[in-house]
Amino acid sequence: MRELREVFYVDGVRTAFGRAGPKGVFWRTRADDMGVKVVRELLSRNPSLPPERIDDVVMAATAQVGDQGLTLGRDVALLAGLPQSVPGFAVDRMCAGALTAVTCGAGEIAMGAADVVLAGGIEHMGRHPMGEDVDFNPRFVAERLVDTSAVTMGATAENLHDRLPQLTKEAADAYAMRSQQRAAAAWQNGVMHETVVPMSVFTDDGWRVADRDEFLRPETSMDALAALPTPFRPGGRVTAGNSAGLTDGATVALLASEDALGEHGLEPRMRLVAYAFAGVEPELMGLGPVPATRTALERAGLTLDEIGLFELNEPFAVQVLSWCDGLGVDPEDERLNPYGGAIACGHPLAATGVRLLAQLAYGFRERPQARYGLTALCVGMGMGAALVWENLAAGH
Amino acid sequence: MSGWAWAPRWSGRTSLPDTEFKLAPVETERGRVALVTIDNGEDYTKPTFFGRAALESLERLLPALEDGDWAALVLTGKPFVFAAGADITRFPNATRELAVEGSRAGHELFSRLRGLPFPTVAAINGACLGGGVEIALHCDARTISTAVRHFACPECFLGIFPAWGGTQLIPRLVGAETAVKFVVANPMRQNRMLGGPEAFELGFADRLLEPAEFVDESIAFALDLPDRAQRPPEDAAEILRKARNRLDDQVRGAAPAPYVALDLIEGALTGWSLQEGYAAEEAAVGELLPGPQAQASLYAFDLVERRAKSAPGRPDAEPRPIRKVGLVGAGLMAAQLATLFLRRLEVPVALRDVSEEALASARETIEEALAEQVAKGRYDEGKARFLASLVSTSTGYDDFADCDLVLEAVFEEVEVKQQVFREVREHVRKDCVLATNTSSLSVEEIGADVGIHFFNPVAVLPLVELVRTPQTDDETLATAWAFAERLRKRPVLVADAPAFVVNRVLTRLMIVVLEALEHGTDPDEADDAILRLGLPMAPSVLLQMVGPRVANHVLETLHAAYPERFPLSETLANYADGRDEIAVEADERRSQDELLETALEALADEIRLLLEEGVVAEAKDVDTALLLGAGWPFWLGGITKHLDQVGISERMFGRPLAEVDAGAKA
Repeated sequence: MRELREVFYVDGVRTAFGRAGPKGVFWRTRADDMGVKVVRELLSRNPSLPPERIDDVVMAATAQVGDQGLTLGRDVALLAGLPQSVPGFAVDRMCAGALTAVTCGAGEIAMGAADVVLAGGIEHMGRHPMGEDVDFNPRFVAERLVDTSAVTMGATAENLHDRLPQLTKEAADAYAMRSQQRAAAAWQNGVMHETVVPMSVFTDDGWRVADRDEFLRPETSMDALAALPTPFRPGGRVTAGNSAGLTDGATVALLASEDALGEHGLEPRMRLVAYAFAGVEPELMGLGPVPATRTALERAGLTLDEIGLFELNEPFAVQVLSWCDGLGVDPEDERLNPYGGAIACGHPLAATGVRLLAQLAYGFRERPQARYGLTALCVGMGMGAALVWENLAAGH
Repeated sequence: MSGWAWAPRWSGRTSLPDTEFKLAPVETERGRVALVTIDNGEDYTKPTFFGRAALESLERLLPALEDGDWAALVLTGKPFVFAAGADITRFPNATRELAVEGSRAGHELFSRLRGLPFPTVAAINGACLGGGVEIALHCDARTISTAVRHFACPECFLGIFPAWGGTQLIPRLVGAETAVKFVVANPMRQNRMLGGPEAFELGFADRLLEPAEFVDESIAFALDLPDRAQRPPEDAAEILRKARNRLDDQVRGAAPAPYVALDLIEGALTGWSLQEGYAAEEAAVGELLPGPQAQASLYAFDLVERRAKSAPGRPDAEPRPIRKVGLVGAGLMAAQLATLFLRRLEVPVALRDVSEEALASARETIEEALAEQVAKGRYDEGKARFLASLVSTSTGYDDFADCDLVLEAVFEEVEVKQQVFREVREHVRKDCVLATNTSSLSVEEIGADVGIHFFNPVAVLPLVELVRTPQTDDETLATAWAFAERLRKRPVLVADAPAFVVNRVLTRLMIVVLEALEHGTDPDEADDAILRLGLPMAPSVLLQMVGPRVANHVLETLHAAYPERFPLSETLANYADGRDEIAVEADERRSQDELLETALEALADEIRLLLEEGVVAEAKDVDTALLLGAGWPFWLGGITKHLDQVGISERMFGRPLAEVDAGAKA
């Protein structure tokens, strides 16, 4: 029997996350150029790694068209100036794109097919609105394979409120406000400085530097949140204030085998312990992380109590609440999204996963007592993803 | 790298979009950086120029820079363009006052930029020409992207000089040798431009950066700007003396701008303060810009960079695709043409000649030319092998059945050419375009559908005369036109008249020179007289290049049509026979002044007749043809601008050539 090789997270960076659309900072910036920026930043932060020793570049995008269409990993590798000998590919698992890129890379390393992999994601939702160029099979409706609400993410969030009446709009708003407050504090400490790379971008006002997420609203109040319209349903509960905005962003992480760590002098931050993807009812896609988390923990041989830090995506406040509800975690728990989440920083679909990793790694260093951590996401069309990591700063 | 590649978009007479200086503050750990973008809100196909609006925008911006608390300034351009220089659309008919005022306005604003009390960096991200270079030089330091392909001061090419401090700051930054090359020699060499790496090597920039993170890294550089040592003074006298000598050889004093530029560079290196230098630039540009050479140059620039590309006379018909070309004749020019077709079209070329030997030699020439491309790194060997494999040679026409266009390039004899076209027509499809490369014979009489007249050397001269006969239909002409453009040539549409335009004009000039020789004028004196115009080569050298036999043949054709104006020349006949013998008729030596005057009158007369016969649509076509097909200099504006400027046209027929209506006589 061959032995499985360990997979380590070394480093990860992201662009600032911009508001999708003509008013967003990245409106005139190409998606692949954003990927180039984070790849180059990652390499310049890890100068001991010879670029030709990168064995693969895995890049996720949900909309694999236009400037996200040319086998993104390979496209970005060439544009970033990596040697032609470095291959690359593209993956799609919608919101879990970057996490899937990471698990693909991890699989290559574990199998012995690679020693160093760059894995990340890019989503320019301004240039590629959700559902762009998608041709839904009419059987979905004719055979009632899924509820029609499954294709509108906001509607699936309303469905969660329906299904779990204990999760009120007030609870969702309170969660959203806390996310904004935590994010505001995070921009004052080192986490954003370490994980966000400023990028000069050309705009209608000339060159600017995109160095801050465009979704921060530290002044948000419960009153203001209560007054927002509910676009997905008259009298509904999901608002622009308690969900993540449409976002442009790019992320990338550096993964390595144990051999590569030693050979290139790379400092590992986390070890991948286990992961799981799971499927649920498409119209309740927000529930996906519950079974994914349970399975991942089971595969890791860990219990929830042993997890010291959770980085969850926040497409909708109610989605996080449903995960808390399902697993019995207090939404106000300090272990949960200590730096705020997507409500305050944005959610560029396939790019988000590596943001969670980078923030988890930072959080691990601040919390040496936390031995294990979890990154999890829900995924459109009814899926969930969960990755369990070990904190190497914990000194175990 | 030639300016032609860039300049198409550099001109454009229609009103240019306003350029703005846009300020964005960037907060960094080391303080606030002023990031300023030169932008006109358009994409790279419409570069940014400095006109009145741009200068006003800079003037509005400067107080915010001067009064603000900034750690550094980074000045950069929109993607692919830093700044493409002054808005030259305002230069035609400029007065002295406008020229002086424009120069002074730039000096005042740019020197305020230079005086900012914090580090300033020009981040040259793309095309940087003329005024773009000058504003960059008013910053403390410069970064340049490896992707920059156009870095130059082309002003001397246009009959002026860099008058926003360029002649003063360039020598101070890079020294006399490089300054002379950059400001004078390069523009006078077909407007040669530098790429980013070369500009960096020569000292124009402090950092050469990759394009991917160019602005990011330029900001970082500005925050960490090192002190730079002053350039030690140098004795530039010898460099400038040599530069003036080279200029004399090239332009014979006919173009004042490069001489003025050298004087200004010399001033900069011999103790002028910057303010004195600015004042000298202002005075000098006030003289030059309204002057005839600058005005002719602007006219010529517009002709070749804007008008020729708008393709006046091109029919609207849809051109047919060209997927295979036949070439009849395998002489030297045919081999050059075949190489051009392979390089630009990458389609099969069928070569036909009666001589196996000629075919073998043509193939060798083609393969050598392709090997040269490989050596230059333009293709790899596999590509060259493939292109060579596209050539088929034969003494028959079997390979011609699927040709879309056939060009005949056999020697200049009507009967031979007629025979060729009779044979070719039997072998090609009905819709195949049959073209001739004749330099003087009647296209219609030869039996071709259209004339496509290339100029020697084929790879260098951009002109083709497209000859339309009464039988040429629009689709054929459109196809020939598209064919020429794909070969990256600039077609000028001409009627099927003896020797068309360039050869007819040059032959008329040659007649004047030959007559002078036959009346006892010394050949060197005759050459010198004509060279005072600043032509690229002396008449005797041109004659050798064309070949006396070919020249005599053209003369015979013209003589048959216009015996009075084109008398046969015994001297030329001697040359054609290989005898270097001038047939002196009389001893009536002409002075250089007389000879030049006679030559200009002959040119004016011939061009008027060309126009009246309707050979071309207007005088601009004649000028375009001479600029692109004979390499005549910009400062003559082809030639009709000069003839009009010096009053010869007015004196001879009461109006400038620019106002002669084509076809008036017909």
